[in-house]
Amino acid sequence: MFETTVINSIIALIITVVVCFLISTLLPGIERKYVHARIQQRIGPPVTSPGIMAPIKFLFKENIEPSSPVPGLYKALPVICFFVVLSILIAITPYAFAIPALSSLVAIVGLLKVEEICYVLMGSLSKSIMSVRMPFPDRVKGAAHLNTTRSFIEDISAKRSLRMITYGSFPLYLALFAPVTAARSIFLNDIVSYQQAHGPFLFTVAGGIAAIVFFIGYMIILNEYPFSIIKAKCDVIEGPYMEYASKYRSIVFITRGFLMFTLGVLFSVLFIGIPPTVFSPTILLNIVVVLIFVLMMGIFSAFTPVFTNRQLLPTILASTLLGILAIVLGLL
Amino acid sequence: MEEKVPRSNIIETEIPLGTVHPAALEPYRVRLFVEDEIVQEAEITIGVNHRGIERIMEGLPVEKANSLTEKICGICSNSHIWNSCRTAEMGLGIEIPERALYIRVIMGELERLHSHFLYLAHGCETVAHETFSMRVFYLREIVMELLAMIGGNRVQYGCSVLGGVRPRCDLDEAKLQRLKEDMDKLEAGLTDFAQRFMADSILISRVTGVGALPAKQAIRLAVTGPSLRATGVARDLRTTMFEYDDFDFNVITQPDGDVKSNLLMRALESFESIKIIRQAIANIPEGKVVNRDWEMFDTDINESYIEVPRGTLYHSYALESGRVRHCIIRTPSMANIGAMQYACIGDHVTDAQLCIVQCDPCFTCTDRAIEIIRR
Amino acid sequence: MGIKSFSRARAIHIMLVYTGGCNGCDIEIVNTVLSPRFDAEQYKVFLTWNPREADVLVVTGPVTHLNRKPLEAIYEAIPDPKLVVAAGSCALMGGVYKNIHGDIPSEEIEGPVENIIPVAAKVPGCAVRPQDVLAGVVSLLPTLLDAD
Repeated sequence: MFETTVINSIIALIITVVVCFLISTLLPGIERKYVHARIQQRIGPPVTSPGIMAPIKFLFKENIEPSSPVPGLYKALPVICFFVVLSILIAITPYAFAIPALSSLVAIVGLLKVEEICYVLMGSLSKSIMSVRMPFPDRVKGAAHLNTTRSFIEDISAKRSLRMITYGSFPLYLALFAPVTAARSIFLNDIVSYQQAHGPFLFTVAGGIAAIVFFIGYMIILNEYPFSIIKAKCDVIEGPYMEYASKYRSIVFITRGFLMFTLGVLFSVLFIGIPPTVFSPTILLNIVVVLIFVLMMGIFSAFTPVFTNRQLLPTILASTLLGILAIVLGLL
Repeated sequence: MEEKVPRSNIIETEIPLGTVHPAALEPYRVRLFVEDEIVQEAEITIGVNHRGIERIMEGLPVEKANSLTEKICGICSNSHIWNSCRTAEMGLGIEIPERALYIRVIMGELERLHSHFLYLAHGCETVAHETFSMRVFYLREIVMELLAMIGGNRVQYGCSVLGGVRPRCDLDEAKLQRLKEDMDKLEAGLTDFAQRFMADSILISRVTGVGALPAKQAIRLAVTGPSLRATGVARDLRTTMFEYDDFDFNVITQPDGDVKSNLLMRALESFESIKIIRQAIANIPEGKVVNRDWEMFDTDINESYIEVPRGTLYHSYALESGRVRHCIIRTPSMANIGAMQYACIGDHVTDAQLCIVQCDPCFTCTDRAIEIIRR
Repeated sequence: MGIKSFSRARAIHIMLVYTGGCNGCDIEIVNTVLSPRFDAEQYKVFLTWNPREADVLVVTGPVTHLNRKPLEAIYEAIPDPKLVVAAGSCALMGGVYKNIHGDIPSEEIEGPVENIIPVAAKVPGCAVRPQDVLAGVVSLLPTLLDAD
């Protein structure tokens, strides 16, 4: 009897993850075509192009060796990122609630931290052609400061990611812990059952504030436009992802859509109390929440320039304070 | 405003950007000397575009040399051919029909519009505000279509010839009508953009105070054109050019010399250009567009200065049996390089390219002569 | 049509390298991709600035001395299959800068692009029209789709 339950759970889990994965590949296209292009008054790419077709195309490209001091580790990092996101998604499905170590907020926060540390490593291991390695005679007689150390643009990006780990991701983590104050437990099982008994946490005052903070944190961890300083096009071009080619680049593309989806589902688990499962119509609600997040993020990013530290610090400070306020309100 | 000084003289690292970079529209290399992501010093290396145009022009027949000057730059191509023709015309004393002068002014102002729109779009693109950049590019298309209608090509229209303008560029009633209608469309679009830009508090706070260039420093660096006017110095060569005698326009200035002043400056100056084009359409005199009634003789070095979208453009050459000798061209970006390097100091690395863009660089114009100093 | 060519036809990343032309072509090409009027993204063409991502390299300008090595380096960095579009008369045959001397070649110009890297499509024009650039990239499609 016990074995059948486990096997059934595993099958249901796999189906849920596959469905979620398939939907997540559409998200970058939806953001690009229906939000950005619509706001910019143009037609925009087909929905399938950025999220599905581009990764498939990259699979068939030559697997060129990245220029990196440790190519093996550099190439492993997107795979690690992908599995981290996958584990987060598995952790928030109801089938994982039986494993308390995985389905707790501590595990999720830890996994998200791994994701962020991957950006630092990616940035410091990538040595692209676009800056120092460009064969250009600029250190010649008469040039200024001939003996300085030279940095690749990705090194700056790595430094910024490190800074983002220290303070940039505070809002998201605070928002994650806001529902804990209501449910008085860090286990997702308890948070979900508390909300099923008392109504969604989103519709309380603390929940409303925490939702705003969650949204800001969501944009920060996805590096979307106002907070995209670690891959700002105007100096570091693509930042940590500069050297990925072929299948590693396609994993990078897929992970981004998957992370968008996972964080949206995480919100619906923590704030509305609906864990994703294909065998219940409530998964539609999960998808709707994900879509709302993607649309809102698209609208925000279309109307904001990239923030430098001058704007980033106050924004993050303000949202951190809001997050603390939400937690205090929840505790009262 | 106080003179900007680097926060410290410690240089932690050097970040070279270029020659191909998304924020640059043309190849150049910039080395940023950085301490804690704050730029302490910047060095721009040009010469990447050097094609030796002045060397090629030497000894060419003057008509051929004129059309070659157009290939110096793809943004202000009309300015170069205009000024080159003007140099010879001043030397040879050619009288230009009134109508041709008006058409030259119309082309010059249309070019200023498209250059300023490119600047606005590129500036917004560099702060990663894609939506605004798209909106300006949409407006710019209107100007490009007009230029294509008058000159027959979208970029290099070859409008001026010695003694007037090419007959192809003559404006008949239908063209004038379309020009008039499109100016209304353009003004409406630009007003809308300017209002949205001013109302967008996020973008305004993002660009205010970035890349500030004090007026005193700007004069010391001999900055010209809109970059100088954005620091508060009302200096516009159009006020002294005889072509603009009949036109009534204001010299726009902005106070701070930062990116916000520069962007606003370009937007407001575009309104003045629209005003000038409207006056030209209303008062355009009848008559022929080219005066072929002139004689070639040898002259000493002739000089001509005009105001182009980026500042003061200088052409000079002597004529010898109908051929060009001792050609010198000095473009506004040459003078503005100092300002670009200065504007970067004290700003974040992400803003460094923005600070360079705010002086409206056109290094393709600038890379012509390289002086090799042997020591 | 296999999944390989199917996906390739639906996402083409182009990268632009300017090698010292007059700026006209560069702006026209950036315009094609950026401006809402032409909007290359609706034809599944995306602009990228990372050579590792690019499929098609669009080169403008007559390749001046200092640009030769960067161009080669960027070409090397693009993973196969890669194709080069030379856009504008400077990229095709050196333009006025190389040819106005008559028989005496210019010393400043290394180009045309063909001398340095293999060119798959040529888009003529001074400056190129945006429509022509799109047509040039589209004319490459059969080659790109059938490549390994």
